[in-house]
Amino acid sequence: MTEQFIGKLSEFKDGDRQIIRIGDDEVGVFRHGGEFYAYSNFCLHAGGPACEGLMIARVEEHLRPDKTSMGLSFSPTDMNFVCPWHGYEYDMKTGACVADKRLKLRRYDVKCKGDEVYVVV
Amino acid sequence: MSKVATKKATTKKAAAPKVAAKKTPVKKAAASKTLAPAFATEPSPSEKAAFVKAMWHGVQPKAEAGAKKTKTPKAAAPKVEVLRKIPAKKAPVNTALSAQALALAKLIEKAFVADEIDQLQPHALQALMEALCRTYAAQVEADIHEGVISHNSLVSATDVMVVCGALLKAVDLQVFELGMWQTWSGR
Repeated sequence: MTEQFIGKLSEFKDGDRQIIRIGDDEVGVFRHGGEFYAYSNFCLHAGGPACEGLMIARVEEHLRPDKTSMGLSFSPTDMNFVCPWHGYEYDMKTGACVADKRLKLRRYDVKCKGDEVYVVV
Repeated sequence: MSKVATKKATTKKAAAPKVAAKKTPVKKAAASKTLAPAFATEPSPSEKAAFVKAMWHGVQPKAEAGAKKTKTPKAAAPKVEVLRKIPAKKAPVNTALSAQALALAKLIEKAFVADEIDQLQPHALQALMEALCRTYAAQVEADIHEGVISHNSLVSATDVMVVCGALLKAVDLQVFELGMWQTWSGR
């Protein structure tokens, strides 16, 4: 387990992401809500660049007490990212596929030391 | 001439076996030297006992076999390279304009609830609608995803159809053309 320096903290604004090659791996590093998340950039479906697609809030359906739908809306807190090849959607906080929670992207730990950001490989 | 030739031939034939006779014993001796240790000598009983002990106990930490381990070179650190930087999309900021728009919407809604729809003159409504259409379309193009109306809005389906129909008519578009454009552009 080695820590790889990937950039300065000031280079990552909230909502920014970087695609980084570490050895033979491609890693997508996200900054969202002040937190860092890093996942393998290979989609579990067909190997597409999963971390480079659309970032979109989770779609929620609000129900009335009688369980009828009040319509769909975007979650104010939860964010997902979508593989641009075939639309596999992953949870930003866990890397789990939204349609099937058993599928998870490989997760990398991200550490901040002062103004420097490291990915643990 | 033939006699001389036969004599030469006989002398050559006689000389040839002498050379061969000298060379062959040297080869045999060399071969026997190389093969001798493998077949001829057998390990002594003490060597056999040491071998069995080594096999039984395994390689001891201070034994010669254990000490000869060569240090494996450290794996080189993987090369880190930034391939792409994807900046965050522009988010609408909370400005005075937003606050004024909210206040204006409240005023119009209040007039609507009080059944005072004639308070808003048609040219004022036109100006508002034009500004809203242009701004909303620009926000969609800028990839700012927000619902055009909130999920707890009081806007009815009939209201939407009336407004959409009027907007399409204003720019001389048929519903078919809208559908075709949506299909072609994947929206």
